[in-house]
Amino acid sequence: MTVMVTNAEVLALEAAPAQGKTRATATADVPERRPAQAADRAAQPVLALSQIALTFGGVAALRDVDLAVAPGEIRAVIGPNGAGKSSLLNVISGLYRPDRGEVWLGERAFAQVPTARLAAHGVARTFQNLAIFKGLSVFDNVLMGLAHRVRSGFLRQIIGSPLARRIDAENRAAAEDVIGFLHLGEVRERAAGTLPYGLQKRVELARALVARPTLLLLDEPFAGVTLSEKLELSEHVRNARDSYGATIVLIEHDIGVVMGLSDRIAVLDNGSKIADGTPDEVRADQAVIDAYLGVAHQDITELAV
Amino acid sequence: MFDYQFLIEVLVGGLLSGVMYSLVAIGFVLIYKTSGVLNFAQGAMLLFAALTFVSLVERGSSFPVAFVITLAIMVVLRVSVERAVLRPLVNQPPTTLFVATLGLSYVIEGAAQLLWGTQVHGLDIGISDVPLDIAGVFISRFDLFAAAVAGSLVALFALFFRYTRTGLSFRAVADDPFAALAVGLRLPRVWASVWTASGIVALVAGLLWGARLGVQFSLSLVVLKALPVLVLGGFDSIAGAIIGGLLIGAIEKLSEVYVGRLFGGGIEAWAAYVVALVLLLVRPSGLFGQKLVERV
Amino acid sequence: MSAAPSTAQLLPGAGAFAITVGAAVAFGAVPLLGSDYLMDAVLTPFLALALAAVGLNLLTGYAGQVSLGSAAFLAVGAYATYNLHLRLPQLPLLVDLVLAGLIAAAIGIVFGLPSLRLRGFYLAVSTLAAQFFVQWALTKFGWFSNDNPSGVIDAPVLSVAGFTFTSPAERYVFSLSVVVVATVLTQRLLRAQSGRNFIAVRDHELAAKVIGVPLLRTKLLAFGASSFLIGIAGALWAFAYLRTVEPAGFNLDRSFQILFIIIIGGLASLRGAFLGAAFIVVFPLLLSRAGAALLGGVFDSGVLEMSQRIVVGVLIIAFLIAEPRGLIALWDRLWRAVARPAAIRNT
Repeated sequence: MTVMVTNAEVLALEAAPAQGKTRATATADVPERRPAQAADRAAQPVLALSQIALTFGGVAALRDVDLAVAPGEIRAVIGPNGAGKSSLLNVISGLYRPDRGEVWLGERAFAQVPTARLAAHGVARTFQNLAIFKGLSVFDNVLMGLAHRVRSGFLRQIIGSPLARRIDAENRAAAEDVIGFLHLGEVRERAAGTLPYGLQKRVELARALVARPTLLLLDEPFAGVTLSEKLELSEHVRNARDSYGATIVLIEHDIGVVMGLSDRIAVLDNGSKIADGTPDEVRADQAVIDAYLGVAHQDITELAV
Repeated sequence: MFDYQFLIEVLVGGLLSGVMYSLVAIGFVLIYKTSGVLNFAQGAMLLFAALTFVSLVERGSSFPVAFVITLAIMVVLRVSVERAVLRPLVNQPPTTLFVATLGLSYVIEGAAQLLWGTQVHGLDIGISDVPLDIAGVFISRFDLFAAAVAGSLVALFALFFRYTRTGLSFRAVADDPFAALAVGLRLPRVWASVWTASGIVALVAGLLWGARLGVQFSLSLVVLKALPVLVLGGFDSIAGAIIGGLLIGAIEKLSEVYVGRLFGGGIEAWAAYVVALVLLLVRPSGLFGQKLVERV
Repeated sequence: MSAAPSTAQLLPGAGAFAITVGAAVAFGAVPLLGSDYLMDAVLTPFLALALAAVGLNLLTGYAGQVSLGSAAFLAVGAYATYNLHLRLPQLPLLVDLVLAGLIAAAIGIVFGLPSLRLRGFYLAVSTLAAQFFVQWALTKFGWFSNDNPSGVIDAPVLSVAGFTFTSPAERYVFSLSVVVVATVLTQRLLRAQSGRNFIAVRDHELAAKVIGVPLLRTKLLAFGASSFLIGIAGALWAFAYLRTVEPAGFNLDRSFQILFIIIIGGLASLRGAFLGAAFIVVFPLLLSRAGAALLGGVFDSGVLEMSQRIVVGVLIIAFLIAEPRGLIALWDRLWRAVARPAAIRNT
């Protein structure tokens, strides 16, 4: 990587007042933290975005967005529909190439993250519209999360060489572990496509966790699940961080669910970050209230019509 | 010395047969745009139409009467196909639908020949095949006629779909069937008119090709000529089908005459496919196909 | 999909028993007791088509890449074996067979390259290019058929380590051995990570990419392995079954026939490939017998051929509508109805 900016500078950049719409709530706590972070390399962000801009045919999806995610954090990115949340996640996972800006994964900066090498960089993600492999069993779906670790060629796999067998055994053990962790044991042999929606979401989470990613991206994990499933799922997300040590970035439309779950919350509106801070800070933020109430109003009128 | 006159002759001949490819391809596009089906049975339907027409004429009916009866039969066939095959398969993946039309083409080919026999029928539509001499370039009178008929039919469809109410509904359905349904368009009616239109296309194309090659089983293979056209122009673009047809017609003849010699001829069986493939690698949705932004 | 429990799961211990009995029947009883007609006109073509269907199923059923050009790879396998035998007589036949498979695989990979950018119909149409190109090349260049004017090749006698397979029973046993070995190896591939990668690419290509499935390698492996198997099937078709073949025998109809086998039998199922092949081979024979019995002389060969076309077409549509998972799904359901009560009674 030829870029000579350090992560500390990226953080500083994010904290800089020049970035426009970011509210005082977000910047207020950073000055105290900045020296500590610059000094302490352990606190280097797992993920940092600097000045990410993305347009689709002239329409701005993201406007100079900065974000820094500390190790072990559960970080939510919320915002109304069309705010750019999914675009942000797709930039982080390399599905979109931003027009400007950089994505830092640990110590490496990318203009576009190489999607095919994402897993090798310790990043896993889920998708908003389920992306499980319907034709594979639950166990095999989970096993797929380790596909990038299978280094044996197909001939070795056919004859079952010692290397192929060793990798296979390691991967199966890891998969068993996650299956137990997420209580999927009872359905482990079922074809994933035949399971109810909530369980399919859990299978996708298991597939993402099995490689023990340093960074886990969750795209609207709570969309379309029932209330009890929401509680259960958020418990799983917290456990994923606590037991598997994954730093988690999750995108959510519904502000309520993430308040109790997240350590910090970034709020996007119309492609820009309008707030970033602890749940309490975000809750009290006037811009967030405006953005959300405005949207809520529209929703209500739409429903009334 | 390079013979430019000959080049022009080959080129014009290619473009003229290209018009007929366009006609067949449009039959595909109409149905693909509205129901998302790549109707492989289009070739079989073309064969069925031509065979029915010829058999009626051989049994003493006049051209116009035979035309109308055949058209009526084609529409009935189309509608029953829609009811019996496509409707039960709605919401299935496109590949499943495609294979179903493959099965359908077997049924129609078998039925057509069982009904009307397997022998070759001549079809004389009264156009002499004495070449026309235009400024020293010889052009087949028949090709010219066929191209004129195909061309006017294509133009007629283009106007129809641009300026009539049905045409507007067609475009709406093609764009977004759910939205069209939501605003109250009656899908079955749009489908019926599209299937009728593609029935007319099948009949006319069948007659033109039949007059040229004789009405026989190999007519249904015309579908294989249309596929590279579709790939080139995009499965969902009428303009693409027209231009793709002309391009393929020209490329086929030119490559056969100037490149084919090097390999001992016969390359028109695959030249069009290779050209279409190379283009696809550069532009994966064809020359005119819509490029959709994938939502993740 | 493959959620239906296999025989072995339903009746523990019965699996090994069934395999032993099956092998004894297939390798022992059938060649000893079966008629020449049965082996020559039914079982040998069944085996060749079943192997071709296994190959196509790997590509289309498992990896989700539709191909309309299978017959091209049958032809490559047949003509490559012929030429290897002719031009490198010092090589043993089995080596010829494997090399022919590898040549088919190489050509399959070339025609599979567009799959990296093309999807669905566009890819299917591109596989047609393989179909037309190969058929053209074999007819056009005399070298492939040792300068036979119409591209016809006559198969040499099959011989392995001094033992020749000439009688129908011997050729059947040869085909059976090749098909069994090839199928077992395919099964192992499909059960390993490569097999899971195929299905992942089929079910959700983007998710597969994000997880780190190498798309390029996975798709090309699918095309290569599939063409390898189909190529070997082509060699069996030409050498063990027909023994005199011409390029026209590997036309588009043949490609469709193999596609129909995997659809009727059941996509993404190796057992389905065998069931489908059995159906496609036996069914026309039954139909012609029935036709002759019912209508006598009226039923000429032209009418027969057309009726077959119609019935095959109707069956395809009927399967797609009524049981998209094919004969194998019917089979499994039937088996469960028979086996489960028996299993419960035994416990």
